[in-house]
Amino acid sequence: MSAHEADPLDHPEVRHASPLAYVSGYLLSVIFMAIALLLTLRHTMHYLNFIIAVSILAGLALLAQALLMFRLDLSKSQQWKTFSLILVLPLFVLSVGLTGWMFHTLYPRTMMHFMQVQGADM
Amino acid sequence: MSRTERLTPSHRLWARHHPEPDPIAMKTLGFWLYMMSDALIFAGLFAAYAVLDHKFNAAGGPQIKNVVHPLEAFVQTIVVFTSVLAYSLAMVGLKARNRMFVLAGLLSAFVLGGVFLGLEINDFATLVAHGITPERSGLMSIFFVLIATHGLHMAFGMLWMAVMMAQVALKGFTTEVVTRLLNLRLFWVFQASIWVCMFVFVYLNGAF
Repeated sequence: MSAHEADPLDHPEVRHASPLAYVSGYLLSVIFMAIALLLTLRHTMHYLNFIIAVSILAGLALLAQALLMFRLDLSKSQQWKTFSLILVLPLFVLSVGLTGWMFHTLYPRTMMHFMQVQGADM
Repeated sequence: MSRTERLTPSHRLWARHHPEPDPIAMKTLGFWLYMMSDALIFAGLFAAYAVLDHKFNAAGGPQIKNVVHPLEAFVQTIVVFTSVLAYSLAMVGLKARNRMFVLAGLLSAFVLGGVFLGLEINDFATLVAHGITPERSGLMSIFFVLIATHGLHMAFGMLWMAVMMAQVALKGFTTEVVTRLLNLRLFWVFQASIWVCMFVFVYLNGAF
């Protein structure tokens, strides 16, 4: 390392490593995914309720990873990463959600006749 | 005043009053922004999957519920999460300035990443052996592309990890090596986050 550089291991992004946070993030993620798996295997919920429940569980697992594994917060070293994630998240959700919604409403309106001809039910 | 004279140990590069940008934070933020754009690539693939996940697009062939196994995917989930934990613990070793701890963490993460990829390749090979290929239908095309894109990310992450193990062993904890280790950590945790979306919306939703 050249003389003008400070020790990189003193950098805040190195210093905020925390075994407790990492293990907690790991355990929470596994638990949320295990619950989602159980909901799938038991198959006792209506589809709409199921998809809402697993979406919430996925959201909680992602939140646990953002806070405990990525260590995102509003500190000086992390605040711009947090802001950029907050800006990207709506783009992600809207691009997937709106595209899916658009086509799933388009199918019954434009392809019903063809699907009946093919013998496929909706 | 020369650059060397200005940058004394008391003027750390990430200090608020420092006249120059902090190179580590600048590079990790830049890499983070790259990952945000990578997330939008996955958003495009998830959107295509949401469109093609319909009986009509199965073209009389297998549907998602015929090709996914949620229990096996849960094993993959545990493996990828454990790999991320191993890498994260390597960063605790970095904080403790322990080179062997870092190398052990990286090696564990690498091996677990290999196990994850092995399970995925085995899954693909089984499907292909049953005649279920990406050419079978639009639905199968996006299924293979979506899963394989994540698998490719994992493979490149492992390649990067192998390079970092060599660099840590040969160069030690220089500013460049530490910056790359931090960026790879972001990349590796990001793969677990993407896998959460895949596990829930492809494997669990598909099997319901």
